[in-house]
Amino acid sequence: MSTEPPPPPVAADPTMRRVLACFGLILAVLVLVVVVSLNNLSRSVATSDWVNHTHALITELDALQPTLNAAEGELSRYLLTADQRDHGSYQNKFAELGEHVDVAIALVAGSPTEKQQFQQIALLLAKRADVASQIVRLKKGGDAAALQRLLAQDAESHDHRELAHLIEKLRETQTDLLSARDRALFLQAQTTRWTVLTGLALDFLLLCGAAWLIRDALAARTLANRLLQQSNVELEEKVRQRTAELSATNAQLAAQSLEDRWSKQALEHQNRYNLLIIDSISDAVFVVTKLMNVSRLNPAAIHMTGLEPVELIDKPLARVLSLAGPTELAKPTYDPLARTLAEGHELRDKPACLTTKSGHSIPVRLNFYPLRDRDKVVGGVVILQLSAPAST
Amino acid sequence: MSNTTRPPFVPSHKLPVPGSSQKHILAIDDELPILELLQEYLKTHGYRVSTATNAHEAKRIVESEAPDLIISDLQLEDTDGLQLIEQLRVVLPKTPVILLTGVLFDPHVVEDNLKWKISSYVSKTAPLQSLVDEIRRHIGR
Repeated sequence: MSTEPPPPPVAADPTMRRVLACFGLILAVLVLVVVVSLNNLSRSVATSDWVNHTHALITELDALQPTLNAAEGELSRYLLTADQRDHGSYQNKFAELGEHVDVAIALVAGSPTEKQQFQQIALLLAKRADVASQIVRLKKGGDAAALQRLLAQDAESHDHRELAHLIEKLRETQTDLLSARDRALFLQAQTTRWTVLTGLALDFLLLCGAAWLIRDALAARTLANRLLQQSNVELEEKVRQRTAELSATNAQLAAQSLEDRWSKQALEHQNRYNLLIIDSISDAVFVVTKLMNVSRLNPAAIHMTGLEPVELIDKPLARVLSLAGPTELAKPTYDPLARTLAEGHELRDKPACLTTKSGHSIPVRLNFYPLRDRDKVVGGVVILQLSAPAST
Repeated sequence: MSNTTRPPFVPSHKLPVPGSSQKHILAIDDELPILELLQEYLKTHGYRVSTATNAHEAKRIVESEAPDLIISDLQLEDTDGLQLIEQLRVVLPKTPVILLTGVLFDPHVVEDNLKWKISSYVSKTAPLQSLVDEIRRHIGR
């Protein structure tokens, strides 16, 4: 089991490094913009809460003096009419004044300075309420002289002027704070706006820089892509041509293969047919080599000699056949058939003697033809017919 | 090529597709390998070939779909090729018939004695292309 070697380290592409650095900076700017914007948003929300709170305090401050005046008006009416309904109105107005004071105290609870300032206002209001209680008590008691003294003494007091001064002072403080908060809010909005715009501009510049850095690589890749497409087209065309050539060659080879198979079939058929013809001949046929050895024989020859093909094939024909001579002594010392074959002659209707397997001699008539292959004698054919029995 | 490497031969008298624009040829021979080769070769030249190994099959094909041309061997299983051609000629008098045989005929003998029965004679020892040429001469492509 073989293990593949690790791939070689890819060389760092400086352009790629610069592009990555640009994108890193873009990301950092975006993060900075988001952080600053979120921070300003939180501060805006806090400022908005504070502004609402301040407006609520100013509203309460503005309501204090009119409510006090209304309450003391109801008190004066009660002093004049001594009607219980006017007494109820006077009590209601002072209760309303108490509610305003309670709300204002709650609103200034978070700020020690404001709390201290409002405490003086609250004390003055409490004093006014106390004076009103004394007046009502004296009125109900019917002590007119004491009531007259108290009213005269109260008329000389500067509570109202001091109360107006304190309220105005606290109100101005709150108004100044509102103005400061408005400026701060405007500055925050401006800061957010400029942060976002600056971040966008910076990111745009960085993107332009990245595009500038990769412009060559992009151009090279575009060119390479175009070349690749062109190569693909050319390659496809070559493949198409080659496929067509291969198809044509294949078809040609297939046709040639069929022709070859057809030739083989025809040859086998022809050979079989020729053999059938030879085997159907009633005359004995021996095919011999140039050395007069038997190379082939037909069924009639087997029947006539009584020998099996294995006993005759590659054996001299002279073993079973001899030309008939006048006497045994006149037999030539050479094989006349071999000589005839060597000379390329034919023998027709010659008397001969065939020796069978059992040793009997059968008189036959012999025809001998040399086999020529392009004018070259390659063997011979011996055809034997049984001689007609001698007439008696 | 060994027979074992080739797909088994399917007698094509079951294959004709009536309505096809290809010319229809009926090949008759008692040897299946011969028919297989003929069908394969003529198919590559755009012909649709039905095959029959005997007279009975040949007549059945002729009845079901008349061929545009008939190729017949001389020796068949159940009859003599020339006799079958005579019988088919009665049904299809204008259909060209090519005698394709391995029995060696003298062309002059064919011309003199068989011209009334057959349109052409092609020896089985001749190349297949000569048979295609002869087919084209009679029925075109």
